[in-house]
Parts: sequence; structure tokens; C-alpha cells
Amino acid sequence: MQQQSAIQAEEAEKIPFVGDKEPLSSLAAEYKAGGSPVLLEKIKILSEQYAAIRRTRGDGNCFFRSFMFAYLEHILESQDRAEVDRVRANVEECRRTLQKLGYPEFTFEDFFALFLEQLESVIQGSEASISDEELVKRSRDQSVSDYVVMFFRFVTSGEIRKRSEFFEPFILGLTSASVEQFCKSAVEPMGEESDHVHITALSDALGVPIRVVYLDRSSCDNGSVSVNHHDFTPVAGNNNSGGSEAVNPFITLLYRPGHYDILYPK
Amino acid sequence: MVDLARVQKELQECNRDVQVSGIRVSPKADCITHLIGSIPGPLGTPYEGGVFNIDITLPDGYPFEPPKMRFVTKVWHPNISSQSGAICLDILKDQWSPALTLKTALLSVQALLSAPEPDDPQDAVVAQQYLKDYQTFVGTARYWTEAFAKASSLGIDEKVQKLVEMGFPEDIVRSTLEAVGGDENLALEKLCSA
Repeated sequence: MQQQSAIQAEEAEKIPFVGDKEPLSSLAAEYKAGGSPVLLEKIKILSEQYAAIRRTRGDGNCFFRSFMFAYLEHILESQDRAEVDRVRANVEECRRTLQKLGYPEFTFEDFFALFLEQLESVIQGSEASISDEELVKRSRDQSVSDYVVMFFRFVTSGEIRKRSEFFEPFILGLTSASVEQFCKSAVEPMGEESDHVHITALSDALGVPIRVVYLDRSSCDNGSVSVNHHDFTPVAGNNNSGGSEAVNPFITLLYRPGHYDILYPK
Repeated sequence: MVDLARVQKELQECNRDVQVSGIRVSPKADCITHLIGSIPGPLGTPYEGGVFNIDITLPDGYPFEPPKMRFVTKVWHPNISSQSGAICLDILKDQWSPALTLKTALLSVQALLSAPEPDDPQDAVVAQQYLKDYQTFVGTARYWTEAFAKASSLGIDEKVQKLVEMGFPEDIVRSTLEAVGGDENLALEKLCSA
């Protein structure tokens, strides 16, 4: 067990927390040598819609890390102040949720503060403003990157506990654990991989839609190949605008069994 | 770098409701990354009536990395080494989270005293006994609690005498006992490592 995790850790070290933006052709290159034809076919379909990929380290935090970078990069490029104000209100709501659930303030306050600091810094025009280059640098710096990942883990756990009746059936589908046990063992520890439960909870809590594109070996019975995706759309009543109207996610992640990377549409 | 501000807040929080929880944490000497915790043995267990001291070291990566905890008080339990005091508990390893605190970790250790997991043992000998001869296990655990976890009921002079008889000079024994709050196990450990 220990040896296995040591090997995993060593493998993970080779990729930075957040990689460089690469053309989508680099994805196909991965599967050139003996790759499954279905995968290559799917990558071809993907390349019609997506231009680039940014890889993240496979250390169990890849979903949260991908979300972190994709979100902050979106704000940096769009300079969407309304979105920043909206998400900030949701963050405050998450803070109240954790307080109500009985988390001691000192366990989460530093993580909240650090995320809000990053959010502030991607908005241009102040002394604290940062460039895209600096954002990449910070995302690779453990003392920033891990704090933001942990911030998302707190937010996710708080949302699941707050709406435990809603999440319970989904959690029972994954494991025999109770909601409480699930949060303690599969959400709050660093390095625990994310499932649709985590994604739903984070998307709902922050009110940010997320598109996940699935790349696996599955194909239809008639042999035709298509690439599936799922949009996680935040539920209404969570401080976000409406709920029934279709929101176009500005965050797209590529899911390959066990791992998430960031995708860039054309 | 250990987050020292957080550790300070943890100590304050833990010591605020010590009357309710019975869980104590205090820095060992001047260094805040080396602490000593204590937990009362849970009622209705062979550990009832004992107070167990736990040596706590905070690694550089705290609170991302778990605190290192080890029983200083000798204890007879399947998941705690009867030799070294090493603890086998998931939250002190890969299930640790920055959402946990020294206090919640010590509460989990206390819960472990109530609910041993002999199938995932730290001390194979104790675990065997627990599974095959439960009555003897209970007897031994209770005896160890009497012998090692209640030692602090001795008067200070008796403790001094005990340690002096082991061959340590009296003035050093007194100052050491004082420094560790009168715990003779800790004092002995300190004297031996000095």
C-alpha cells in the first residue's frame, strides 16, 4: 500500500499542479501508440469543438484544482465584476453554512481568505492585480494552490451536509457510508478523488455551472461513436440567478476515468 | 511552515471547554510545535479512571499534514503499541483533513479507546489476546490503567522519591516534574533523554 502510494506520488510529481495550455493534438498523441480506435475517434470529434487542453496533476485533487484554475482564468479574461460580486455573496453564504454546522472558525477562515484574495487579484486595476502568467505560477505554488483546493473542499462538504437529505441517495449509490462519514472520509481529506456528488455540491454552493466532457472507451451498439457531456447546473434558491433558464457553462472539464483536466472551446 | 497562529487558536479553543471534554493540550516547554495532550479514559471501559498523556509533534506541513501523536502513558490496546505508544488511526494518516483539529483528533483517539479495532492492529500481541481471550485482555488493560494512567494520584514527594530511587539527582527530579506538570511518566522520559 505504502509502496503503491509512493509510486503514485512520484508519477504525480512529473506534472505540475496545473500544466501549460496545450493544443488538443497533444491529447491524440497520448493514444497514438496502440491506443483504442474508439478513443482516437472520440478525440477527433472533440477537436472539432475544442482547441486546447490544460492538464492537472493526478493527485486526487485534480477536479478542484481544474475548477480553481478554470474559474480564476475566466474571471481574469472576462473581468466580469457582476460574477465576482455574485460568487462573493455565495462564498459568504458558505461561510455561514459552516458556522451553523459547528465548524470552528479557525479551521476554515484562512482558506476562505486566501480564495477571496485570489479572486480579488484577477480583477485588474488594483495594486494586487495579477497577470495570466502569475496566475499559472500561483496555481503551481503549493502554499496557494492547496489552500484554494481545501477551500473548495470545505464549501463542498458544507453544501452536502446542509442538504444531506438531497445528497444521501447519491452517496448511498457510491458507498455504504453515511453523509457525515462520506464528508469526513471522501470530501474533507486532501487527495480524495471527486465524484458527481462533489461536482454537484460545489456547483450548487457557488452557483457556477460546470460542463464535464466524458472521454472513455464506450460506444453505441451500432458502432457509432459520440462524445457525451453532462452539464452540472446549479439549483435555484442558492443565491444564483433563476434556475430553469439554461446556463451556458464557462467551465469545461475533460473527464477520463479517474482524472479531470481543463478543456478550452474553439 | 507550521501555521502558528492557527495552533494558538486551537489551544485556546481546546482549553476553553476542558471542563466538558476533559481534553487538554499544552505546549511542551517553549516550542509550540511540540505539545502534550491528555485524555480521560472513557467510562465503562478498562481505561476508566485513567488519564492518558499523548505526545504531539506538528510537522512543517500542519494543518495539511496530520499531527504526529504517540501515547506517553503506557496503555494495553490492540491499536496502540504497548512498547512505543504508536497509534493506528486513519485520521492520523491518510484520512487527516485540515478541517480537523488537535481537539477532534484527541477525541477520535479517545473514541478508539472505547472501540478497539483488533482486525487492524498496531500491537499484534494485544490484538490476539483481545480476540482469543477477551477476559484476560480486559484484566490486563485495567491493570495497566491502574499501574500507569493513575500514577498522578501519588503525592509529589512520593513521585520525587520514586525517581530519586531510580538514580536521578533530587533537584533535577523536582524541576523536571514541575516542568511537565507533575506527570511522572513524562518526567521519567525527559530525565532519560536529557
